[in-house]
Amino acid sequence: MPTKIALAGNPNSGKTTLFNALTGSNQYVGNWPGVTIEKKEGKLRSDTYKDITIVDLPGIYSLSPYTLEEVIARDYLITENPDAIINIVDGTNLERNLYLTTQLAELGIPMVVAVNMMDIVEKNGDRINLDKLSEKLGCPVIGISALRKAGITEAAEKAAELANKKVPMTPKHRFSDELEHAIESIEGLLGDRVEDKNKRWTAIKVFERDIKIMERLDLDDSLKERIENIIDGCETDMDDDSESIITNERYLYISSIIKDCYRRKSNKKMTTSDKIDRIVTNRWLALPIFALAMFAVYYLAVTTVGTWMTDWTNDVLFGEIIPPAMESFLDSIGTAPWLQSLILDGIIAGVGAVLGFIPQMLVLFLALALLEDCGYMARVAFIMDRIFRKFGLSGKSFIPMLIGTGCGVPGIMASRTIENERDRRMTIMVTTFIPCGAKLPVIALISGALFNGAWWVAPSAYFVGIAAIIFSGIILKKTRMFSGDPAPFVMELPPYHRPVAGNVLRSMWERGWSFIKKAGTIILLSTIVVWFASSFGIVDGRIVMVDDVNDGFLSKIGGAIAPVFAPLGWGQWQATVATITGLVAKENVVSTLGILYGFAEVAEDGFEIWGLLASSFTVLSAYSFLVFNLLCAPCFAAIGAIRREMNNTKWTLFAIGYQTLFAYAVSLSIYQLGMLFTGNGFGIGTAAAILIVALFLYLLMRPYRERPIEAASVQASM
Amino acid sequence: MLQFIADNIGTIVISALLLAVVIGIIANMAKKKAKGESMSCGCGCSGCPSASICHDQTGQGKN
Repeated sequence: MPTKIALAGNPNSGKTTLFNALTGSNQYVGNWPGVTIEKKEGKLRSDTYKDITIVDLPGIYSLSPYTLEEVIARDYLITENPDAIINIVDGTNLERNLYLTTQLAELGIPMVVAVNMMDIVEKNGDRINLDKLSEKLGCPVIGISALRKAGITEAAEKAAELANKKVPMTPKHRFSDELEHAIESIEGLLGDRVEDKNKRWTAIKVFERDIKIMERLDLDDSLKERIENIIDGCETDMDDDSESIITNERYLYISSIIKDCYRRKSNKKMTTSDKIDRIVTNRWLALPIFALAMFAVYYLAVTTVGTWMTDWTNDVLFGEIIPPAMESFLDSIGTAPWLQSLILDGIIAGVGAVLGFIPQMLVLFLALALLEDCGYMARVAFIMDRIFRKFGLSGKSFIPMLIGTGCGVPGIMASRTIENERDRRMTIMVTTFIPCGAKLPVIALISGALFNGAWWVAPSAYFVGIAAIIFSGIILKKTRMFSGDPAPFVMELPPYHRPVAGNVLRSMWERGWSFIKKAGTIILLSTIVVWFASSFGIVDGRIVMVDDVNDGFLSKIGGAIAPVFAPLGWGQWQATVATITGLVAKENVVSTLGILYGFAEVAEDGFEIWGLLASSFTVLSAYSFLVFNLLCAPCFAAIGAIRREMNNTKWTLFAIGYQTLFAYAVSLSIYQLGMLFTGNGFGIGTAAAILIVALFLYLLMRPYRERPIEAASVQASM
Repeated sequence: MLQFIADNIGTIVISALLLAVVIGIIANMAKKKAKGESMSCGCGCSGCPSASICHDQTGQGKN
């Protein structure tokens, strides 16, 4: 049977780097929390020891049961019983990292402490007495640099040696007499239920009233009562709750270690990252800076730099070059008129309309990649945590939304890192409110064609999404389905670094190329279907090709549904059809409008591109159309991701229904109240809008009630 | 028949090309569905900004 050695340590301590170096596997080292939530295994590359499996556990700060990563790591350590542990500790943050070390030592599993980043420790002029540290901890301590591969073989072979000897780890540290007495009493009561080597750790967890451990032990009521009396007694004498008592005592022990084993060269100076963070994560400046950053991203992409290039692709490439050249070619080989129409008025009009926005998308992706690569995006989750906490979510819920600025599908999947099921469902439901890359052509089209490239339209689309998330969060958290306190959110902020040109450009290109591929596949298919459906109709009882799209099948189908959207200001069948085709891919909104409003024809006649579209919408109805398409149900791919993550049809339908109804209510309010304020009278729609706004305000302001079940379970556990 | 083909060769060739493209796209989508991937998301994982969260660089998918 192969020997198993577990790698355990804090996030960003270099575990994965060490794992890669020991096993030769390639693992990604990222800035986001929850990068690894499943264990990875690999064979140790060693000439001395064969058949040794290294298991890379999720980065954890402790063995508490609060986060999924912690539960996964400790479940593995208790149930799968690795033969040894390599506890990797960041030498530049020794005090914080040793908290987990003290807990791992109590498991009784043979352990080696590998103090990583020793090269940086030495560079800083600090000193760690590894021998003394080993004496204090009661286990071997080896200095390593995982990045430079220094000392790693020694650490691994030491762990292998301990695994072979099978000598259990005996922790050196002792708590205060009273606490030790309580723990020993609990150990006695546990008896044979727990193996000897795990008994101390289990007793400490029972003392902390660890829910998962208590569930696993399944003790009878009389035993639970006796244990509870021991804990109560200790809490009364020490005037603190049991968890805090243990935590404080651990830190007292760690302080004594640091005092004896660690010498800092000078008082810790603020790093450049710390100085930047003082401003960027400042209580008052953080949000305005974030708003400014996202404003700048969308302004640059849609209104300025992106527009200059998109104007060329729309006006020249897909206006003056490709359509005339293709028409000339098709004429020269004698292609039938219907096929020419399919290619020019269908495929080129539709796909060309979407591809015309590539420059803007590339600029957006470039800007987002810059923010991600420099490390700023990692701060955004921390910044948003303060707001999200006010309505019962944590910053961890914002991470899927940040990912969703690229594509909603991975954004929805990233909700897996959220432990609380209610918060996870809520996050899945609101993630697609953030405009994804596919919605950018819609934003750019409305902004350019109907608002003359006004500076505020594109950034407002992003902030409408944020507002929708916050409002939905507040409203939903006050319902029985979603109420509850937010989960704790601990996140390590990685240092800022200069964006690497290669990484940024590669990220921009990969996303852009994906967009182009999508245009050439699913969007191309959709344009063919839309062209057929709009170019053929029933005339005098026969199916014929029609000259006017208003006589086609699509206009009949769209016309039947369009009245639903009339209160939103855009009851035209073309807008309705475009919205529905957006379910296949959001870019289809643009391609469908391109076909139905004659994108290519307009170009040939010399009219301004999208002129016909502009004449079909007012400013208000255009903005209402934009908001609806931003907030309504996402594309089929994202709906599929919602279904997989919800794992429940009812919840999926609820999510889609909620998004669509929310979008409808907001769009209706925008249009109807806009009409009222611009002096266009008061009608049924206006009354409906006022009622909707009143309902929104009520749902926002009503008092927050805890779930009765939650209150009962808190009562039972006390 | 031959005359018909001669008179409409341009239409036939372009139609055949277009049909081949459409069949190719549909076949690709069917292959994706068989692999459990999304048919309508043309992105592919390599272009996804979160590929590193879902996939390790050895190409073994998490999801």
